[in-house]
Amino acid sequence: MEERNDVSLMRLLSEESACSTVSSDTYEYYQTEIFDQLPSIQATRPEQNRSEEQLEHGNLSRGPRDKASTVPLRNLAVCIQAKRDARERRKMQISNIGFWESWRRSQTSSRKRVWAQMGGAIASLLPWQHTLHAIEGRFGVGVKAYFVFLRYLIFLNVLYCALILGFILGPTIFYGRGSNSELLRFGGNDSVLDFILGSGYLDRSPVFYSFYTRGSLDLFCLNTPLLYLAGIFAILFLSVMMVVRRTIVGYKHTWMLGRRHRMNVSYKIFCGWDFTIQYHAAAKLKGSFIRNDIKLFLEEQNFSMREAKRTLKQWAHLYLLRVTLNLLVLSLLGGAFYLIHFATVKSQSTVATNDPLVKLLLQYLPPITITFINLFLPHVFRKISSFEDYSFTMQVNATLVRSIFLKLASLGIYLYFVIIGPPVGPNSPPKCRENQFGREMYKLCIFNFLITFCNTFFLNYPRKLLRKKYPSSFLARLLGKQHFLIPFNVLDLVYAQTVSWVGVYYCPLLPLIGTITLIVTLYIKKFMVLHCCEAEQRMFRASSSSVLFYFMLLLGLLMATVTLGFDLYNFTSKDSFSCGPFGEGRTVFNVTEECVLSLPSPAQSTLRYLASEAFAIPLILAEIIILTSYVSRGRANQKAIERLKDMLVMSSSDKRFLVKEHTTMVRRQRNPHQARSARIEENVPLNRHKDPPPRN
Amino acid sequence: MGTTASQLGKDLLSEYQELTFLTKQEILLAHKRFTELLNKDEKDHTARVSMNTILTLPELKSNPFKERICHVFSTSENKDGGLTFEDFLDLLSAFSDSATLEIKSHYAFRIFDFDDDGTLDYGDLEKLVNCLTGETQDTRLTSEEMRQLISNILEESDIDKDGTVNLSEFQHVISRSPDFVSSFKIVL
Repeated sequence: MEERNDVSLMRLLSEESACSTVSSDTYEYYQTEIFDQLPSIQATRPEQNRSEEQLEHGNLSRGPRDKASTVPLRNLAVCIQAKRDARERRKMQISNIGFWESWRRSQTSSRKRVWAQMGGAIASLLPWQHTLHAIEGRFGVGVKAYFVFLRYLIFLNVLYCALILGFILGPTIFYGRGSNSELLRFGGNDSVLDFILGSGYLDRSPVFYSFYTRGSLDLFCLNTPLLYLAGIFAILFLSVMMVVRRTIVGYKHTWMLGRRHRMNVSYKIFCGWDFTIQYHAAAKLKGSFIRNDIKLFLEEQNFSMREAKRTLKQWAHLYLLRVTLNLLVLSLLGGAFYLIHFATVKSQSTVATNDPLVKLLLQYLPPITITFINLFLPHVFRKISSFEDYSFTMQVNATLVRSIFLKLASLGIYLYFVIIGPPVGPNSPPKCRENQFGREMYKLCIFNFLITFCNTFFLNYPRKLLRKKYPSSFLARLLGKQHFLIPFNVLDLVYAQTVSWVGVYYCPLLPLIGTITLIVTLYIKKFMVLHCCEAEQRMFRASSSSVLFYFMLLLGLLMATVTLGFDLYNFTSKDSFSCGPFGEGRTVFNVTEECVLSLPSPAQSTLRYLASEAFAIPLILAEIIILTSYVSRGRANQKAIERLKDMLVMSSSDKRFLVKEHTTMVRRQRNPHQARSARIEENVPLNRHKDPPPRN
Repeated sequence: MGTTASQLGKDLLSEYQELTFLTKQEILLAHKRFTELLNKDEKDHTARVSMNTILTLPELKSNPFKERICHVFSTSENKDGGLTFEDFLDLLSAFSDSATLEIKSHYAFRIFDFDDDGTLDYGDLEKLVNCLTGETQDTRLTSEEMRQLISNILEESDIDKDGTVNLSEFQHVISRSPDFVSSFKIVL
């Protein structure tokens, strides 16, 4: 207590002396007497003891204290003894907490806990929660964002599986496959290789399109082809909805974070530590997280400061460099595309060999080329973007954008060649082109998975072993530490999912295959992260990047839909041979029409109106009106916020000015010497009651 | 539980419930843990446990602010950070589930105010950042980084531009953080 008063005395003395020698304007406004009396201050901290402002007068601080007397004692930020004193001051009776009150209170807190536990239990129902937690603890939020993304894709694929089962597989199983279907049997020319190639046995199996021939369920509006179509469209529609929703949510989050950017560092420092941490390792990890975060922030800030200082000449130089590097990127992309073209042509040319291995290799040439290009080029892009003098986040984003362009474009080129197809000889046997296309997608999917598998177990793991066994060897030092490169891993996922979307029409079991491969991928990646990789020194921004992940997924989906539309048009228009659900004069386009024709005429005319241009115009107009109203409302709110902010700043500066004026006037009237001694005297008895115990 | 309850006394127990945010069970548990730290001979409730003994609690052991926490909650005359049982209850109350944001931010401010002068000035912030990132030579920030960081902090939170962050400015920052209440927590 004594020591405490000494401190306050010292502060008073130093302030007073400073003020008396210089001008009274240096007196900080929040240390003035009148500051405590301001209604706004009293409103913001009603029950706070005034330990920070030592300038308390018994009569001056009556306002706040009267208000404080309504506050429960336990809300006072003072020690128990001081609370007892406060109770005595308030002349309150020692309220005996009865059995009932005690029970009620413990019920409230236990209810709170039950809720928290229930929330935890529900969260832990999500699979791999524990895995995610462990990974987050060691590698940070960025790597966790990747795994969350992976889990999201698994859920999505499980949902697709359910849809496929309900719309496509179920009807086929229940109602048979029409008259001319032979029994599915493994034998004859089939071999295990078929499972990789997607030919032979698999070609006849439910994996591919041609299996789903028209069954006995053959009403006008409820038949297998229609259900097939409905299933596929349901999948695509659902994916669009879900991915768009996810992107929007993420975008909104980042946008809001960006808006509140001003408070960014203060949060990190003041709310940075998690006091619940009990283990030394966890504490160390938390420390390194905070450090990395701060360093990343400082680096970005330094970068933007450097950027602001660049001269015109430097800018010109930089742009020249960037243009050159972009040209390099473009030429690399062009080369890659030519290579894919070459590989596709090569694999489609009918080379007569009987060696199954050569055949396999030729069959897999395009996927191999695509995968290797996609494996190799993004790393080149990463190196290139490091020369371009972008900020770290921008570097990652530039690499991501280039790589996603490469991935999707290479897939697109490959698809184009597959759709155009090789010239069909007049004497070649009729083949189901849909199946062929599905087979290509199947191969891409399988190969992508195999690459993931091999990459981990034949590349990353040996590398890790080498580093562990011979840490000083030249090779180990050359290869360096392994990090989990989030952008590239995400790209792989987006690519696989895009292939799955493109192929789902021709290979309806692709989502099931996707689910299995993704689950295995999750375990492989978990193994890779936990056993082969070391935590990054620089952390990846999770919030902004996950938006980018979903955005890329959206791009993939867009591409899948476009491809599917193009395919449908292409296959149905030029092919006379038909297989699968649509045959016997029915196509994707007229199967719905048949249904419509069977409806009663009012429904028919309504549907026709809905499908016509006459309906499109009012629809577009209505959309425009709704959008306009939302946009203008948003703008008006924005303006109101700006004005309120201005008003806030103005009123607070008014307050500061008035307080300062008041203090200056009071001091001119009073002898500073007297004021000081009076203040100290008043301070002592008050402190005894209200101050927290000495802080040291 | 019956024996511990009788040790603490019924009146005292209900008084503690009135004065803290703790429930009966929590107070009893706290008492049990506290008496384990005490020497065998001193069982009365004004006995003080030295700071070093308190810091052996696993809940505080790996906290970089552990000494500050003890100092803030200690009522000891010779500022050694020793805690009586009531101080200990104060500590647990402030860090409990049901303590208000007001209380939590107040104590957070005092914990971060290393030199006890009522504002967070440059030195306080520097110590705070060092505590967060780790004190050793290779984990702490360079002085240039530190200067830049602190000027950023002051730029953001020092609303009245007096070069320090005072309690209300601190609470202003804290009140916008949704997860402060959940992370500023120590439960036995």
